[in-house]
Amino acid sequence: MVQKIIAIYGKGGIGKSSTASNVAAACAESGYKVMIIGCDPKSDSSITLLGGKRIPTVLDTLREKKNIKKEDVVFEGFGGVLCTEVGGPEPGVGCAGRGIIVAIETLKKIYPEFMDNDLIIYDVPGDVVCGGFVAPIKKGFVNEVYVLTSGEYMPLYAANNICRGFSKIGMKLGGVICNSRNAFLERELAEEFANKIGSKLIGYIPKDPIVQNCERDGFSVLENAPDSEIAEIYRKLAKEIMENSDSVNPTPLSDDELRNLSKKYAADE
Amino acid sequence: MEDIKGIKGITDIADIKIVHPRPSSIVASLYTLRDMKIDVAILHGPPGCSFKHARLLEEDGIHVLTSAMDENDFVFGGLDKLKFTIEKAIELFSPKSIAIVGTCTSMIIGEELSEAVSDYEDKASFICVEIHAGYANNTDGVIAVLEPAVKSGLLSEDEFSRQKEILQKATAVEIKAGAASQEYLAPSRGDIKYKVAERLIQLLRENKKGVLILNAKKETAYMFADEIVATYEIAKKLGVSENISVLSNTDVNLGLPRVREHAENIEKGYKEAGVVVDDIIGGLDEYGVTGKTVLNLMKTKYADSDFVLIAGVPHAIPPEAFENMEIFSITNGPRQVLPLKEIGHDHVIVEIDLHPKTLGVDKIIPSEFGDNLRSVFSDSL
Repeated sequence: MVQKIIAIYGKGGIGKSSTASNVAAACAESGYKVMIIGCDPKSDSSITLLGGKRIPTVLDTLREKKNIKKEDVVFEGFGGVLCTEVGGPEPGVGCAGRGIIVAIETLKKIYPEFMDNDLIIYDVPGDVVCGGFVAPIKKGFVNEVYVLTSGEYMPLYAANNICRGFSKIGMKLGGVICNSRNAFLERELAEEFANKIGSKLIGYIPKDPIVQNCERDGFSVLENAPDSEIAEIYRKLAKEIMENSDSVNPTPLSDDELRNLSKKYAADE
Repeated sequence: MEDIKGIKGITDIADIKIVHPRPSSIVASLYTLRDMKIDVAILHGPPGCSFKHARLLEEDGIHVLTSAMDENDFVFGGLDKLKFTIEKAIELFSPKSIAIVGTCTSMIIGEELSEAVSDYEDKASFICVEIHAGYANNTDGVIAVLEPAVKSGLLSEDEFSRQKEILQKATAVEIKAGAASQEYLAPSRGDIKYKVAERLIQLLRENKKGVLILNAKKETAYMFADEIVATYEIAKKLGVSENISVLSNTDVNLGLPRVREHAENIEKGYKEAGVVVDDIIGGLDEYGVTGKTVLNLMKTKYADSDFVLIAGVPHAIPPEAFENMEIFSITNGPRQVLPLKEIGHDHVIVEIDLHPKTLGVDKIIPSEFGDNLRSVFSDSL
C-alpha cells in the first residue's frame, strides 16, 4: 500500500479542518492507521475527533517541560485516529511559522515511528504566508497536497495562489476538493478550475447543515451521523484520496484567466 | 535525571536563569566543523553574525563566509544569496567540503538549507547544519554538526556517542562550577601573576612535592601547556624535578582528526622541553570527563603532594582530589575566577584572550604566567 502523507491547504474558513477530520475519521473507519497533525495556532483541527475536547499542544508542552514525550502530545481520537496539535502563539505575537517548524521537528524526535501510519494529514492554516507554513512539506515528508476551495471567487483566488507556491517548490497536487457554499454551478466551476491547472476535482462536498451541527457538538459526521448522506460523501472522498495515484505539478492560472473563469460561471450572466 | 548543584529540580542548564552572555551554539558548530577539517563554512545569515569567531577561525584553516542576508532577505528569503555564496566559495577555494550553517534569522524564516545545496552537489561534498543561537546549552551546536555528519558517513556512530557523552559531562561541569554556575558572574582578572609565580617558585625551592595537571580544551592546550613546561623547567633547574609529576589530557588516539593533531603537537612540545608526562588522563576533548581519573590518581598515587597546578579547565576536577594541598589554577575565563575561589582554589590566574592566540598554532606557545615564572625565577638567581 502507498503511504499517504498529505497536507490540506486553502483559504481560511473554507472548511479545511472539518474536511481533514472527517476524511481522517472515514479512513480510520475503513481500517487505516491515520494521524492528523493540526498546524493552526487555534489548535482545533482534531477537536471533532476528540469529542469536542482540546488537547495540549506540542508548542505549549515544549514551553512547560524539557523532556516532552509522545504521550504528552499524541492522543487517540475517534476510530483510533492519532491527533496532534502544533499550537502556537496568541494572535499578534511571536511567530506561528517558526512554531510549525519547531513542532514538526519535535514530533519527528519524540515519535519517530509516526511515518508508519497509512495516512498522515497536515491541516495547515489559511494561506501559505511564510516559510513555516510549508514546513509540513519541507520537513514533514508530505508527498501530496490537496487544495480546498468553494466556487466563490476569493477562495478560488487563494487556491490558485497556493498552487503557484506548489509549482514553485515542485510539490505534487493530488487534486482539488470543492467544499460547496451553494454558489452557482459550483461543481462545474471547480471542475474546470481543477482541469485548467492540470489537476482534477477529486471531491465535491455539498453544503449540509449536519456537518455544522456535528461540529458544534464536538464530533465528526462519521461519528455522530454515520448513516447520513454527507458521511457517505466523506467516505467516498477518503477512498479517492487513498487510491489516488495521479498527482501533478500544478500550472496556476494568471489573474486574468482566473477572473474570466469565475465570470463564466457568474450567476447573474 | 540527576539534580545538578544539589538543587532540587535543577537538571538542565536552562533551569538557571543566566544573564551574562555566553558562548554561542552557532560558534560551537563552526569550531566543530573546523575539528572535522571541513574546508569552508558558509553562515546563512546577516553579515555580522559570529563575526569575531569567523575571523579567528580563518587563522585555523577553515574559511568562513557569510551569505550576508539583509532586511529584504529576511522578508523574501535569501536562498539566492546563499547559492551565490556557495558559487563564490567554489570559485575562491575549490573546496572538497562545504558546510552550510544556519543562524537565528534563516532558521526563524524557515530557510531550507539543503535546497540551496542541491545544485552544487557534484562540485563538493556538503553538510547542512540547522542551528541558531537560541540554545541555553552551546554544545547543542556541536551535536547539530555531528548528527548530519553521521548521516553522511563523515563520522562513525561510535565517535558520535562518545562525543555526546563527553559534551554532556562538559556541560555538567559548567553548571556545577563553571561559567553557567550562577545567574550572574562578574568577570575578574584573577590573582596577580608575578606574586603567584613567586609563591610557586618558593614551593619548588622548599623541595615540596607537586603535581602539574594539563586539563585543557582542544587548541587552548597550546598555551596552557606552557605553564606546565615553565614550571617543570624551573624545577629541573633547581634540581627538584623528581618532586614533580605531570598529568596531561593529551591522548593522541582520541577525538576528531584535528583534536588528535593538537595532542600530538603538545606531546612533541613536551618532549622538546624535556617534560616527562607521568599519566595521560584523557583526550583533548575530554576535559569534562577527566575529573574522576584525576581524583583516583590524586587519592592513590599522589596523595602526599603539597601543591597542585591545574591549567585549562580547573573546575572540571572535583576539589576533594586536592585535600590539604595548595591549589594553583589557571583558566582563560574571567568569569571563572569567582567559582574557582568558591571551591577553594588558593591561587587563580587568568590568561586573558588566550583562545584567539591559540588558533592557527601547531606548537606550544608562551603564556603570560609561564613568562612571569621564567622572569621571576631568573631575577631571583
